[in-house]
Amino acid sequence: MSSLNDTNSRVVQVKYNDQIVRMFTLATIFWVTIAMLVGIIVALQLAIPQLNFTAWLTFGRLRPLHTNAAIYAFAGNAIFAGIYHSTQRLIKTRLFSDGLSQLHFWGWQFIIVLAVITLPLGISQGKEFAELEWPIDIAVVLIWVVFAINFFGTLLKRNEKHLYVAIWFYIATILTVALLYIVNAICIPVGLFKSYIVFAGIQDALVQWWFGHNAVAFFLTTPFLGLMYYYLPKAVNRPIYSYRLSVVHFWSLIFMYIWAGPHHLLNTALPEWLQTLGTVFSVMLWAPSWGGAVNGILTLRGAWHLLRTNPIIKFFVAAITFYAMATFEGPLLSIKAVNSLGHYTDWIVGHVHLGALGWNGFLSFGMIYFIVPKLWSTELYSKKLANIHFWIGILGILFYYVSMLAAGITQGLMWRAVDANGGLVYPDFVETVIRILPLFLFRALGGVLFLGGFVLMLYNVYKTIKQAPKELQEETVQVKISSSAPVHPERGHRKLEGMAAAFTILALIAILVGSIIEIVPTLSVNKYVNTENKVEPFTPLELEGRDIYVKEGCFTCHSQMIRTIPSDVLRYGAASTIEESMYDRPFQWGSKRTGPDLARLGKKYPDLWHYMHMEDPRAVIKESIMPAYPWLITSTIDFDSLEKKVAVSNKLGVPYSDEDLSDTSERAKEQAKKIADVLKKQGVKEDVSDKQITALIAYLQALGQKGAE
Amino acid sequence: MKQLALSQFNDIYLIVIGFFLFFSVFIGAVFWVYRKGSKKHYDYLSKLPLREENLT
Repeated sequence: MSSLNDTNSRVVQVKYNDQIVRMFTLATIFWVTIAMLVGIIVALQLAIPQLNFTAWLTFGRLRPLHTNAAIYAFAGNAIFAGIYHSTQRLIKTRLFSDGLSQLHFWGWQFIIVLAVITLPLGISQGKEFAELEWPIDIAVVLIWVVFAINFFGTLLKRNEKHLYVAIWFYIATILTVALLYIVNAICIPVGLFKSYIVFAGIQDALVQWWFGHNAVAFFLTTPFLGLMYYYLPKAVNRPIYSYRLSVVHFWSLIFMYIWAGPHHLLNTALPEWLQTLGTVFSVMLWAPSWGGAVNGILTLRGAWHLLRTNPIIKFFVAAITFYAMATFEGPLLSIKAVNSLGHYTDWIVGHVHLGALGWNGFLSFGMIYFIVPKLWSTELYSKKLANIHFWIGILGILFYYVSMLAAGITQGLMWRAVDANGGLVYPDFVETVIRILPLFLFRALGGVLFLGGFVLMLYNVYKTIKQAPKELQEETVQVKISSSAPVHPERGHRKLEGMAAAFTILALIAILVGSIIEIVPTLSVNKYVNTENKVEPFTPLELEGRDIYVKEGCFTCHSQMIRTIPSDVLRYGAASTIEESMYDRPFQWGSKRTGPDLARLGKKYPDLWHYMHMEDPRAVIKESIMPAYPWLITSTIDFDSLEKKVAVSNKLGVPYSDEDLSDTSERAKEQAKKIADVLKKQGVKEDVSDKQITALIAYLQALGQKGAE
Repeated sequence: MKQLALSQFNDIYLIVIGFFLFFSVFIGAVFWVYRKGSKKHYDYLSKLPLREENLT
């Protein structure tokens, strides 16, 4: 260090922007409450279908609200709080702009409020974790850019030349999330609240899971790893176990993660080489993931006694342990054979919550317990309550995870059980649902416990803030800036760490390699589509029915992808082909089978069966847990909007005939009339020729009936 | 050209080249990180979160 009378160095006073961190912290606490409440509601709805009260409170609409609230509202606000708090302190400067910080905060909360309103209304793009419609998508991107400008602006005016590893994780997060979100949301609007994704079928599937998996990687993993690298050393007051390991960890993690998306599409119609690539990189990911976890855990070397006395350390260590468990299970589930058992079952739901509750939840809780007393210049109100919170939370996660693991494996085994004659042991899907129903209640209990622990934190934080001094000061520090030569000569990676721009470009290259190799070939989809297999597009009425299917969130419980495994073929028919979904916007291959696959549902049941089933599923299948959709019988079809929808689809490459394009609504009305007449003959009293149920029935009866099997 | 590149995806040599390229970059990075004389620098970096901000 240069001496104090060094003429080249000067001391400046830096006042951190703590106000914005306080705001994001409180927003985190608020939204996590909402996310968990909705979570408990949807968990109970799965066990007790009568809890689907009205249209906007059905499972299919609330489930996207739960996931969006957990990811963007809870995790989002938590990482913004942590990133703004730690970055200022790591590079010894105030945030770039107070105005942008405020805009970022209020813009993000506004987006969340829009999501809370639109998702229950059924305004959805029908892509998991990307359900928000195009006007909100634009807002998300704008606010993200505000965040990026504020963050990189702060980096530019930093007083500490070297960028600590946490900052790298933040940079990778900002870059990659922007790229993922924009590419995945490219669409053409057909109205203020409806759009068609540009990608179709297999392309959409690949882009969606490239996005979906890397939302987990770059929204729920890298920023939280950055937070771990800052707050864990702070809390135990010793440096990270191995800084070198963190360098290797960072580069391998971001390079490998981006390839892993196809493991969400194993045993499907996705080309073999992509499935293999996804599996290989997912298995390899185990190494960098554990590199990070081990680095975190070993930071406690010689300080393990803190685990007994300090609840914050408890939360951190448990979070990292859950991270290690989830990143062990992830690669395991990415092996094709294991995936054929686990995919579409509740095992995946359990896996996700191991990460969401254990890793993201506990790390955020630890961070909140750590920063709240500092931000409000006081002490934590009660350590004891924090300890109780920890243990109730652990119990909640265990209940949740174990019940979902048991449910998933049980149901997966039942789906594939074959008797000596080669027939299915449980041909009725509902049999496999009844078996796991009690576990749904245990899962809800786990959720209630987790929320219960959190309520203690709410109280604890409230009491802590209440005992804070009236006039809150922003933390002010003296920073010495030396303009003379740095302490040590800089070469290679050292220099790189000091050069934010070059570093950012290298990180961008690291994530682009996998993205380009996987996605670009699939965009030339004609390589995979067999043009001899003619596929008819959905008629205008069927298209409308499909939009209703997407709106009601049917995809949250039903897949449309018969996998290339014997038990799927036995149960549902020949494996799905790429051609069958080549016009589907968005693709509806699905990720969960709470109900059976629907890829070849068409013509399996008469129209009346569907009518009764939608009106009251339990009138047809006694044990069904599907919500009833009585409003579809009374809501009318917007025939006028159809012309635009068909025209846009046509522009995107769906081969509609000239008659379909010019007389769209007439043709739709014609088909609706036919279906309504049949229903009338079979005993339906009302005339439903202009009702949504008719469009939905048209669509359901068309599934798997368009050729190219 | 793109079609040509695509048709190479099953080429075992391409896969092997890809593997060695990625793997040698990885090994190279590991050696670089653990190179001689870097300890002082990494110690400095790893203490960044803990450094006392106030000079007074």
